[in-house]
Amino acid sequence: MKDLMRLTLAIDSDLMTTVRLTTGGLCSAAGLNLDDSEDCKVCVTESLLLLSHAGYTHAALYFGAENGIFVRVTGCGKPKPVSTASEDEISVALISALAEDATMEKREEGYEVSFRFHA
Amino acid sequence: MDDELLFAKYRETGDVAVRNQIVEKYLYIASVLAKKFTGRGVEYDDLFQVATLALIKGVDRFDETKGVKFSTFITPTVTGEIKNYFRDRSRLVHLPRKVAELKVRVKDAEKELTAENGQKPSAREIASRLGVTEEEVLSAYEAGGVVSLDSPAGEDGSFYDLIPSGGEDFERFENRDAVEAALKTLSESERALVRYRFGQELSQTETAKRMNVSQMYVSRLERKVLEKLKDYFGKGTA
Repeated sequence: MKDLMRLTLAIDSDLMTTVRLTTGGLCSAAGLNLDDSEDCKVCVTESLLLLSHAGYTHAALYFGAENGIFVRVTGCGKPKPVSTASEDEISVALISALAEDATMEKREEGYEVSFRFHA
Repeated sequence: MDDELLFAKYRETGDVAVRNQIVEKYLYIASVLAKKFTGRGVEYDDLFQVATLALIKGVDRFDETKGVKFSTFITPTVTGEIKNYFRDRSRLVHLPRKVAELKVRVKDAEKELTAENGQKPSAREIASRLGVTEEEVLSAYEAGGVVSLDSPAGEDGSFYDLIPSGGEDFERFENRDAVEAALKTLSESERALVRYRFGQELSQTETAKRMNVSQMYVSRLERKVLEKLKDYFGKGTA
């Protein structure tokens, strides 16, 4: 897989536009059409929302290209204790509905969401 | 009544009132999902309508005995319907014209704000002025080519004819400003109620669950909040 970009950022609503635009640019570079690029943006923001609800304040994003785009979003640092938001269920179902090979796992290095869009 | 019983009752009786009860309970999912797909050239209201119809159809198709939660079942169903709607509409929507129109409006807003404030505005300020998202403003900047206001735009005349007066946008901007000021006069729990009932459009029962109070309390609080807001706006316009 060809590495496209690695990005570490604070999970802050002020940065969401930046993340969405970056994702859109990378999707275009990976050969996705406009609809799939928009869906990928939704999945990235939903993943960050899930991490935020899980108590993470920072996230690491990895974008790779291989017949489309592969995205991995991992929570960084120690999460703050939080109660689970009921919207999480919708976020998980939405990512699963839009992307392929979507996985959500709690790992030692942090909560991780990954998914793929084929070009 | 819990979900399983509600669905079983609907399955057994086919009573539309029971179906409506289920739909009302899960309407927030239609709203949440419709909001997630805004900014792609289709109004929120249209998306909400599509999502709601999908929700109603989903209630008929759901089998509560399969052990899947309704919210898990309905999210991909609604998402699929919204995507179908985009696919069908994409044959009708002329995106380049839309982008070009926005680009012209962004340029105008940039000039106006520069004149008003003596410095170049940020994307956020332009977005706020035009009632669009920051992302749409940045995308309009990215869109190539300069469009003359006199260039022809379909059969409707020139782009100049297509540019709205701005009155509607200004009104929307002013309304939002007024609502934000009014919300500041409410207590935290009152603001939570407004968020759940009028932002997420949850039912009183769902709102009560989220706030950990009774439905009766929500009903009373809602009346009080509406009175307060009515008073606030009444004084403001007197």
